[in-house]
Amino acid sequence: MPTQENNDDRIALLQGTLDLLILKTLVIGPCHGQGVARSIQRQSEEVLFVDHGSLYIALQRLEDKKWIRAKWGVSENNRRARYYHLTPKGREQLTEKATQWKRLTEAMERILEPGTGPAGEEA
Amino acid sequence: MFGRRRKIEDFAEEIKAHMAIEAEDLREEGRSAEEAQWEARRVFGNVRAAQEQFYLRGRWQWLDRMMGDLRFGIRSLLQSPGFAFTAILTVAMGVGANTAVFSVMNAVLLRSLPVADPARVVYVRPSNPPDNTGTIETDETVSHSVYAELREQTKAIQPLMAYVPLSAGKVAVRTGAEPEEAEGEMVSGQFFSGLGVGMADGRGFSEQDETDNAPLAVLSYNYWTRRFGRDPGVVGKTFYVNGVPMTIVGVAAQGFEGAEAGHSTDFWIPLQNRPELNAYANPPDDGKLYIANPKWWCMRLIGRLAPGVSKAQALAQLQPVFQSAAYVGVGNPHPGEKLPVLRLLDAKNFPGYEDMYGKPLRVLMMMVGLVLLIALSNVAMLLMARNAARQREFSVRLALGATKSILLRQLLIESLLLVTGGGILAWVFAVFASRALGAWAQIETSLAPDETVMLFAFGLLVLAALVFGLAPLRVAMSAGATSAMKTTQATAHADAGRSRTGRVVVVLQMMLCVVLLVGAGLLVRTLRNLENTPLGMSVDGLVVFGVKPNTQALAETNAFYRELMGKLRVLPGVEDVTIMEERLGTGWSDNSDMLVDGKLPDVANGSSRTVRSNVVGPDFFTTLGVPVLMGRDFNQSDTMTSPHAGIVNQEFVDRFLHGQNPLGHRIGPTGIKWDMEIVGVVKNHKYRSITEDPIPMAWYMYAQIPVLSEMNVELRVHGNPLAILPTAGKALAQIDPNLPLIQPIEQRAQYETTIAQQMLFARLAGFFGLLAVVLVATGLYGTLAYRVHMRTAEIGVRMAVGAQRGQVVWMVLRHSLVLTGLGIGLGIPLAVLLGRALSTSLYGVQPLDVGTYGMVLAGVMVVALAASALPAARAARVDPLKALRTE
Repeated sequence: MPTQENNDDRIALLQGTLDLLILKTLVIGPCHGQGVARSIQRQSEEVLFVDHGSLYIALQRLEDKKWIRAKWGVSENNRRARYYHLTPKGREQLTEKATQWKRLTEAMERILEPGTGPAGEEA
Repeated sequence: MFGRRRKIEDFAEEIKAHMAIEAEDLREEGRSAEEAQWEARRVFGNVRAAQEQFYLRGRWQWLDRMMGDLRFGIRSLLQSPGFAFTAILTVAMGVGANTAVFSVMNAVLLRSLPVADPARVVYVRPSNPPDNTGTIETDETVSHSVYAELREQTKAIQPLMAYVPLSAGKVAVRTGAEPEEAEGEMVSGQFFSGLGVGMADGRGFSEQDETDNAPLAVLSYNYWTRRFGRDPGVVGKTFYVNGVPMTIVGVAAQGFEGAEAGHSTDFWIPLQNRPELNAYANPPDDGKLYIANPKWWCMRLIGRLAPGVSKAQALAQLQPVFQSAAYVGVGNPHPGEKLPVLRLLDAKNFPGYEDMYGKPLRVLMMMVGLVLLIALSNVAMLLMARNAARQREFSVRLALGATKSILLRQLLIESLLLVTGGGILAWVFAVFASRALGAWAQIETSLAPDETVMLFAFGLLVLAALVFGLAPLRVAMSAGATSAMKTTQATAHADAGRSRTGRVVVVLQMMLCVVLLVGAGLLVRTLRNLENTPLGMSVDGLVVFGVKPNTQALAETNAFYRELMGKLRVLPGVEDVTIMEERLGTGWSDNSDMLVDGKLPDVANGSSRTVRSNVVGPDFFTTLGVPVLMGRDFNQSDTMTSPHAGIVNQEFVDRFLHGQNPLGHRIGPTGIKWDMEIVGVVKNHKYRSITEDPIPMAWYMYAQIPVLSEMNVELRVHGNPLAILPTAGKALAQIDPNLPLIQPIEQRAQYETTIAQQMLFARLAGFFGLLAVVLVATGLYGTLAYRVHMRTAEIGVRMAVGAQRGQVVWMVLRHSLVLTGLGIGLGIPLAVLLGRALSTSLYGVQPLDVGTYGMVLAGVMVVALAASALPAARAARVDPLKALRTE
């Protein structure tokens, strides 16, 4: 288990969200692991923190499920890297998971908004 | 590609690539090269953890871990092969011996008769048969007429079946040209169908077959296998029994070998009605065969309770029928004669076996149980000692990050390995041992281990695993990462060296050892007494076999034996030849009261008038080597026409003709008008068995009596007695090629069959006693050696401050002597109890035999001293300087 402590403002990822983020990142095009991590961090404006160990395990898991494919290639700076592609199955999963996620967040908001949520947050 | 597992190296490679790219990015962001590399690594976090997670992905983790533990356990056991070997062998001996004895006990005492629904099957047995009848077994057999009456008149037992052997031993059979012998039985038509015994091939018998006395035969599965190699074409073949052709119609289901305990029947035929196939191969009595003779009670009955009828109801219905049927054709009961009574016995567990083998087997089971206790406690102690000595190893491993649960798991796996190894070896051992046991005990029933035996063995192994599991538990619980590392050798092991558990176990082992040795000693002395019992003859060089001539008329039979003896007498190597009706040393004898000079002799204060008799040939006592005290032996001039000659033994004279010259007195059996003159007196000797007491005996000359049939031939030969058999067989074949030599055996071996069970019992007990001693010695040695090893530093200190070597040796010896003394003190009372329980199995030795006790005590002391000598010597050799320097 990583002993890094999460003592900054960044938020550790909820379980299951990492898969979604990876799939979303790969929609743009093939990418290696480090690129995926950077991309997630950058796009979330450094709010989300990706544990690299978990990232690679997740990549492997998605590969095992045949949602993504991987092959060794060469990076822009001429370094060997393992590139991940989205498979058609992965694309389907992305749509499905994204929908699920939206419904979840909408539901969460509906519960949080009318209650103590806004008051607490603005206070 | 697909489906192939990605290698962990590839994953590591990817992570490395990740760090390189990350570092490059960081450098581009303006960090120094070194800083960038550090940062990349820091951000990534725990690489090992990620790799481990990758490794574990999709694996059966417990299996993986188990394999690791197994490998570790095997490695660690291989590091001390002596320990592993001893432990596995000990487990194998303990569990194997128990399994072997149990499988015999299971086959003999616990297993059911292999029939359908055995709980409804009962043996139908009489007691108090009418006075005028002759029986095979007073409490077991009835006449054919009783069987017929019972079957006709009762519905409570449906069906009622009868069976009777064709001979007390084997009968002559033939399929090809060569005569052979086999055990055969005549059975009623519903025998197989009524018992619910299936057929492996062909069919069984029908009621019609019984009515017709049909010439059919059913083979036992065992005989079919042994003699015919499971030939599928055996049904339909002709099978000659005493020269009578029978057609084989079936093979009985595997495992069924007849309804009687301890016998394995080779073939069955329907009840017959012809003189060649009379029950027990007897000559017709008064012209009557068993089937027409209400006075000869020779058949056994077994039946199935009708549906819904209880045993008590069935008995109530049968009893009056039986009591009137018993007297049909027998005559009215004498005044005051006890009425015959019928009994129904559960057939479930072979009732006969309980009497024969119940007690010895239970005692043996108890003995092997004690051996097992000693064995298990031995291994547990060894394990504890080993683990205590590994205290440091455990501490180091704990310090390096192993958890206590991992330690415990690995120790349990080690124990499990020992149990598994021991278990496999035990099973092999048990299979061989139970086979040997069955052969020695002459138990013909199949002893192949069944599920019950397997369950029993498995239970023992689980018990062993539990006991061995407890040993490491304690160590694992007490071990701490720091304790053993900080402390010195001396203090760390002080507790272990003085372990109270170890002492208690040694004392208990000693106690059990004393009990086992006393039991074994008493039985071995019994065996020696039995083997050295004088038989009253010179038995070496004698060989005996049976012959059943196919002759009808008395004169013809007489001529047959005369010719046979003539042919045998001239064979090279043959010294003497004679014949006898009852073979010596089989337990059989003819018994009757005898008239002396026309009246029943007076006997002192109610002692028995029973005389054992035999029908024998010329030169009988010369051949046996029994001294003739007065008068003469039988000879060839005693013939049909010469005056009837009889010979008696010393006991006969002492009891019935005390103080008189016995020669010339006339004696004869009660009941018929036939007598003979005493022409000789011989020394007392053994007739039926080795253990019998002297009893009055009388001998008839075969050529002078009115009935003659199967006889046994006794040959005295030079050299190996059994070597004469082929030539003797040829000599017999010259007279009649159909006749086999029936059950040929050396006369000494024949006598020994009467003590086979005691011999087996004693040998086994001796073996287990020895096993116990060896185990206890190793246990004691192990404990002491370990204690000395642990106390090396302490001994060093003692010697440094002035203790003499002698004192150190005495310290060790005293310890073992105290333990031995305690063990003996506790063991003797238990041994006395065991001796009392054994008293009926002893011969010529008292349960409190001083010699045996003395030997046992001396033996135990010697073993204790021998086991302590090595550790004591080692203690004496401790170099105080070295011992202290290791601190």
